Amino acid sequence: MPTIDPTDHEIADLGPEVNGIDDVEELEAMLALEADGEDRGPVRTLIESRIEKLRAADEEEDADPGDVDLAELTIADVANMVRDVDDAAVLRGLLEREREGKDRSGAITQIENRIEAVEGSEGGDGEVEYVPPEEKYPDLDHPTADKQYVEGTSGETYRDMWVYCETQQGELIDVSKELLGKARELMDEYNGEEGYGGDEDGTPEEVIAVVIGDDVVDLAEEAIAYGADRVVYHEDERLERFRHKPYTELFAHMCRDFDVDWRDYHEPRYTVFPATNNGRDLSALVQGELDSGLASDCSDLYIDEAMISNPAKTGIPGDSVAFDRVLHMPRPDFSGFEYSTILCIDKPHRDFHPQGASVIPGAFDLPDPDPDREGELVEHDLELPDEWFQIEIVDHDRLEGGVDLTGHDVVVALGRGIGTDPTKGIELGLELVDAFDDAAFGLSRGVITASYQFGGHVADYVSEERQIGESGQVVEPAVYIAAGISGAVQHKVGMDESDTIIAINDDPDADIRGFSDYFIEGDLFEVLPRLTAAVESGNLAAVAAEASDD
Amino acid sequence: MTDDHEHYEAVVVGAGPGGAAAAAALARQGVETLVLERGVDAGSKNVSGGLIYAEESAPYTIDSLFPDFREAASERPVDDYYIHNVSGRDVKTFDLGRIHRHDTDWCDAVLRRKMDSWLAERVHELTRETGGGLLTEVRVNGLLRENGEIVGVTCDELDPITADLIVAADGVNSELARDAGLMDWDEPDDWFQGVKAVVEMEPDAIADRFGIDDDEGAAHLFSGDLFEGVRGGGFLYTNEDSLSVGTVFHLDSLAAERAEPHELLDALLTHPLLDQWLQGEYEEREYAAKLVPDSKKVAHPSPHRGRLLLVGDAAGQMQAQGPIIKGMNHAVTAGGLAAEAYADAKTRGDPSAAGELYEAKLNEEGVMDQLRPARYRATRSVSESDLLGTIGDAVIRSPIGAAGLKAFDGAIERAFNSPFLLGMVPDTRFSYVTLPTRIGEVLGEPVTGDNDVEPPDLADRIGDLTYDVGEPHIELVDNSFEASGTAVTACPVSAVGFGGGCYREETVRTNGSEERLVSLDTQPCVECGTCAIVADTEWEHPAGGKGVEYEQG
Repeated sequence: MPTIDPTDHEIADLGPEVNGIDDVEELEAMLALEADGEDRGPVRTLIESRIEKLRAADEEEDADPGDVDLAELTIADVANMVRDVDDAAVLRGLLEREREGKDRSGAITQIENRIEAVEGSEGGDGEVEYVPPEEKYPDLDHPTADKQYVEGTSGETYRDMWVYCETQQGELIDVSKELLGKARELMDEYNGEEGYGGDEDGTPEEVIAVVIGDDVVDLAEEAIAYGADRVVYHEDERLERFRHKPYTELFAHMCRDFDVDWRDYHEPRYTVFPATNNGRDLSALVQGELDSGLASDCSDLYIDEAMISNPAKTGIPGDSVAFDRVLHMPRPDFSGFEYSTILCIDKPHRDFHPQGASVIPGAFDLPDPDPDREGELVEHDLELPDEWFQIEIVDHDRLEGGVDLTGHDVVVALGRGIGTDPTKGIELGLELVDAFDDAAFGLSRGVITASYQFGGHVADYVSEERQIGESGQVVEPAVYIAAGISGAVQHKVGMDESDTIIAINDDPDADIRGFSDYFIEGDLFEVLPRLTAAVESGNLAAVAAEASDD
Repeated sequence: MTDDHEHYEAVVVGAGPGGAAAAAALARQGVETLVLERGVDAGSKNVSGGLIYAEESAPYTIDSLFPDFREAASERPVDDYYIHNVSGRDVKTFDLGRIHRHDTDWCDAVLRRKMDSWLAERVHELTRETGGGLLTEVRVNGLLRENGEIVGVTCDELDPITADLIVAADGVNSELARDAGLMDWDEPDDWFQGVKAVVEMEPDAIADRFGIDDDEGAAHLFSGDLFEGVRGGGFLYTNEDSLSVGTVFHLDSLAAERAEPHELLDALLTHPLLDQWLQGEYEEREYAAKLVPDSKKVAHPSPHRGRLLLVGDAAGQMQAQGPIIKGMNHAVTAGGLAAEAYADAKTRGDPSAAGELYEAKLNEEGVMDQLRPARYRATRSVSESDLLGTIGDAVIRSPIGAAGLKAFDGAIERAFNSPFLLGMVPDTRFSYVTLPTRIGEVLGEPVTGDNDVEPPDLADRIGDLTYDVGEPHIELVDNSFEASGTAVTACPVSAVGFGGGCYREETVRTNGSEERLVSLDTQPCVECGTCAIVADTEWEHPAGGKGVEYEQG
């Protein structure tokens, strides 16, 4: 008699119950009970599928690798089965039968790998036999064959942290400075007593900045102030804008082929790039050219040792080996769900250097420049072949920031006080702006989002690019004139650093009065023309005398 | 092709109590579950009056799904429950402890930012085990369909995601429920609007002024003539070191009376009755607003379509029966039942049957009967008619009515405490305003004390809220005053003559003619959804992480 009589239960309740039973006989008894009872189709299916599942599991367990019929097994089954087989002779038997039978390459690989694992661990000398890829896969067409650096780069020397400093509009972008600051910090620690005390011979390693562009020597000097020991720069008017080919060739040449006395090593130990649009392109191309890997979009960097047990890296199955001076490169995965730390580690017969990363802008603090820092400027000298410039930039555009209200002596701003006659209000505001030598014209958000109808001649002035406040521009002129603006906190944060604030409002209780230097109670349609006249005549005192001095 | 999209077994949209309950229950069944939340943090978009119930008869409670909930995420247990019937300065207080404790295992005051963000951490831990997890700052903006069938969701920030089960727990303004055609935004009388102030108060002061210990709490309700005749009432709940004080009104009444919600809240806050608690001190931590579905009218009897199941506010599962307001507990139950329904359907080999099973479970567990009492449906047509309201008004106002009230003083209090009678309470001015006012007038005693607190004005309330302003998420389709003017008053962050709000009335002169228009600035929007109902708009939520961020909730 089974513990559960299915005829006592609803279908919905039975699912978990049935799936909890592992005894086929009990299930068969339940099936019989159900058949004698209501004989519900879904219940029968439920129990039958459970029985089927258990039987299948039994068969799987019972399979003896010594004489199992491989044709019955999927590749996954084979993989699972061989994992438990330690006898190489049995495995060879399996291999033979598979080859005679279905001859599936996936299954063969699984069995071969297991043989290798079993024999390797008993093999004695512990070394993984190295076969160059050309010999191992002679039939393959080798796309890497023309890359002279792919092989033979084992046991070379690597030094220094190279930082690509991206420029835009003739300036180092912030992330370049962030990377220099971080590189300085990392290498100071690396060279210090707490770190490695310098390279393998105890010589300190350096932060090398790379600046490429047109007329960039000043930026190269700036890179020193931000932490570089040495800056390699290349100037050429054709390099004014980023281009894949010449930038990649130049970077690679600088750090691998450039013949200067201080660069007495094969390639950099570390390279870091900004994870900007151009930096992402360049980092991938350069690391490819240098025949290494890249961890892209990293959010942190640190240098530490790492225990590695992967035989592909250690060359010795089963053992863990400590690798030191390893750049740890954490990066967000799966939309920031998780973080993975990427390591780029040499193999026994192939080096993976430089250890390269691109870093998300803003991941590190922007350092303060030290103009007294000393470093060496190195001009990179190389004839740039024309074929590097086959791609021509025919046009470029910089997204404009719109109207810049900052940097003026005076800002005249209008608010919803113009509502009774918006067009006239704008006209009066613009007239006051014109009366000053250097004034800008701003608006509160309330005006921009209003449904006011403006006359065609002033309509162009009413746009978001003139908005002052939290979601607009922040200004701090010598004089800020706010007409018809109540002074909500969202507006206040955009202007309260101004030296002198003059508010015009017909509501004496308006919030703006609390943070104005002068408050003129009155209708802006009357006050603005008088203010304009006073400014034009140079006699502001007369108007100011009427204002209450809060 | 479906193969082009990332696939999860279940996607839960929204990390409030309904979504959290569904996700936790799914994860415990081993279902690979992804939870998407549009706020910067779970709870940053969520507001409630502030009481969560655990009902004895409920199949799921928040603490059964999330052990330690009460210690970690709630404020104070609420045992005392009073209603104050107010007429001018006269107040008659009834003890509603019996109805409050009816079928109640426990009831705690909560603040949603703290509560929901705590829940979200648990949910992330649980769902990660299944290969899913919880992502914030992702706004789901619609349903993904294939050959007319719902197969997944689309988002502002991520590529479309397919799922075998989609739980829409995206709140009262559920975009998924609307996309599926299950809910609409048409009738103001389907909704309540609540506004709330979280007011700072030291635990010692709370203990002193409410006469309670540190591990005790109180709830007070207010009705009568405080609110300019608008149908609704007020509430006050004690938190650990603050009070939640708010008002809730029928949106149709609020709209018809052109009432300003923030002023009605201030009317409560400044009533002499509150002086005993505020004692001249008033420091407002946060002003918030929320739309509340009236489950009696809109709780969807069949809240599913294909793979989509609606849970909580998204399905209108918010029970407001006279003075008893229960929403979060029903969302939790619904979330648990939705998960259970999916697991059952899967066991039967037909996951697509989840919706039908969910509906059946809502009925079997008595949830639907609580949300849409048959007694209310049976009596509504009679009791909500104007004629009966008028007769009721006339009788209760007469000397005979007053005598009746006096004679039945104790009986009225008992009647308020009857779950059966409450199920019939009609939604008329009579029961919200006239009767309580008359009770206060005839039976009440005048309160002494003067309440001279000054709540902040609307500009400061908006100024104190945190926003990350993104692209405008509401489009004013018809900006004429006739079509959308009601929003100027009904919107909780707008007011007549206030230029810093969302909706502003403007008079525009063109070529000699004058036009009354309404303009919209979504910067101060608190995303309550009021204007979607009372004005002519295209209403969406802001993109993930954008818009208002509540710190209390």
